[in-house]
Amino acid sequence: MNLIARISLLFILVSLVVFSIGGVISYHILMGEVQAEQKRFLIERLDRVTNRIERFQPRDTIRWSKMVSYPMADYQQEQYTFSDTLVMHAQLDRMEPHLKLDAIRNIGGKSYRTVLYDVIIEEDDIKDGIVESLITMYLILLGAIAIIGVGASYFILRPFNLTLAEIRNFSLRDPSQQTSFPRSSVTEFKKLNVFLKAMTDKVRSDYRSLKEFSENASHEFQTPIAIVQSKLEVLMDDPDLSEIHLEQLGAMQNAVRRLSSLSSSLALLTRIENKEFSNVASLDVSKRIVGLLDEFSELMDLKQINLQKSIQDNLVLKVDQTLIELLFTNLINNAIRHNFKEGTIKVLLTDDEFKISNTGKPLEIPASGLFERFKKSNQSSRSMGLGLAIVKKICDLYHFQPKYSVEEEVHTVQIIFYPSKESI
Amino acid sequence: MKLLLVEDQAELSTSIKNYFLAEGDICEVASTFKKASEKLYAYDYDLLLLDITLPDGNGLKLLEEAKQERPEMGVIIISAKNALDDKLRGLELGADDYLPKPFHLAELNARCKAIYRRRKENGQKFLYFNEITINLETREVLVGEKTLDLTRKEYDLVHYIIVNQKRLLTKQAIAEHLWGDYMDTADSFDFVYQHIKNVRKKMLEAGGKDYIKTVYGVGYKLQQEE
Repeated sequence: MNLIARISLLFILVSLVVFSIGGVISYHILMGEVQAEQKRFLIERLDRVTNRIERFQPRDTIRWSKMVSYPMADYQQEQYTFSDTLVMHAQLDRMEPHLKLDAIRNIGGKSYRTVLYDVIIEEDDIKDGIVESLITMYLILLGAIAIIGVGASYFILRPFNLTLAEIRNFSLRDPSQQTSFPRSSVTEFKKLNVFLKAMTDKVRSDYRSLKEFSENASHEFQTPIAIVQSKLEVLMDDPDLSEIHLEQLGAMQNAVRRLSSLSSSLALLTRIENKEFSNVASLDVSKRIVGLLDEFSELMDLKQINLQKSIQDNLVLKVDQTLIELLFTNLINNAIRHNFKEGTIKVLLTDDEFKISNTGKPLEIPASGLFERFKKSNQSSRSMGLGLAIVKKICDLYHFQPKYSVEEEVHTVQIIFYPSKESI
Repeated sequence: MKLLLVEDQAELSTSIKNYFLAEGDICEVASTFKKASEKLYAYDYDLLLLDITLPDGNGLKLLEEAKQERPEMGVIIISAKNALDDKLRGLELGADDYLPKPFHLAELNARCKAIYRRRKENGQKFLYFNEITINLETREVLVGEKTLDLTRKEYDLVHYIIVNQKRLLTKQAIAEHLWGDYMDTADSFDFVYQHIKNVRKKMLEAGGKDYIKTVYGVGYKLQQEE
């Protein structure tokens, strides 16, 4: 429900309550006025009766319409009592509440009791009148709210909607994009736009410096590493070196290499996080997986691994080719590396998931931690423990769901392409 | 082969230069955009090794200029950035290859030789080492007259060793050449060992000699007959 509809609904509910209370109040005020008027009217009639009695001094009971007056036997105190009574209404032919005045007046030394009753407006009529007029007003109000609602959401909220559209189009990857928010004369929108402008500019500049940092860090690390590596290589070609020296140089070279791939893997993680791999296109994943398995087939042969594959044809995903290949490469690579000699690898690709399982040693750490950086089952192993972290990061980017499970000596990684919302 | 190396890091350029000199190639070094531009204007080179982060300009600009002047020249970009954008842009501008730093000099050498051969019209079709012949077009290895039945990786391995025949090749350099960055070093050494073992066996079976000398714990080197 949008904002205007919500406010309108609230307004309608509140005004319904106000109208109801207002109706009750109007009824009471109106009834009060009518009562007072009625009393005045009865008193006036009483005065007329009094005049007549003064003039004619009757001994008997006088009966007029809606009036009875008679002299009383003994002298009494003057007194006026108003009360409600039900009387048969002549035209309406039903009992109607009337106002009754029971008065004792002393006229010419004698007490006369006069009882008068009458009704100017019936209570029902007042009630009906109030209800009818209030309902009419309420309907008019509803109409007005509807018109204002439509108008407001179009005219007043227009700058807001334009701002929303601008935010929706906001992209960090496009450095040339300039975010410009529409001008508005509404203070709140003005504030919002100023705030958003400052925020998007800040995000953009932070992103830029982060990107520069990750690029520079990688660059600055790799250059000295490249120098060390080239010097080592030149050194190792020296024919005078003994095997002991060579072995030590070889160890240095391996360490340097690890340093370099560590730095580039971390830079890669940052790049995925920064969404720098935005070259997204529809890609036949089935073909890529078959191709990759083929590339790795020699390695599997060397380890005498038995590959069982069931690859669904023509599975197309909208992904960046470099990243998706990295994802599958890491998984296939892991399945080979952590496998036994003469072990088994099973690869399954369906429309919804990619599943790769391999035989291998049981885990030494809980499976849940495997997708974290630098987590590896065997801490002494020389692998860096970034492979699955990269897999996880790529999955996050495309909203895939990676799952790791181990049963007996079979490890399985499952990538669900379209996870349902509940399972995330 | 005549190379121009554009690289601002003197330590690195010396190593590369010496490596190619030892290979019998001519290698000149330019440390800035300006110097490189002058050299490219004045002389012919078969191959340009280009670092794209230069102190006084972007190497990609230099590449664009160089390619206009000499479209027949081979170009390998060597960069520490390993940024996909640069790589794609470089290849678009006519670079033949992109090699991220750090790299093995043997790898650089192999790639240079391959590009040089491809670019030359009557380029070399064969590589020789004693009685071993590599047919670069059909990707076959012959021992004497006999063709070896090699897998793809085994061919790559033999080719790599013979291109770098004067060098000690570490297991790591071989692993990276065969599998790129995919492999974690420690695990791939076993695979290198097994490939070498298979290649040796196949060569011996074909009547060849075992020229591949193991340097214990480090790698392999092709042994010239004494």
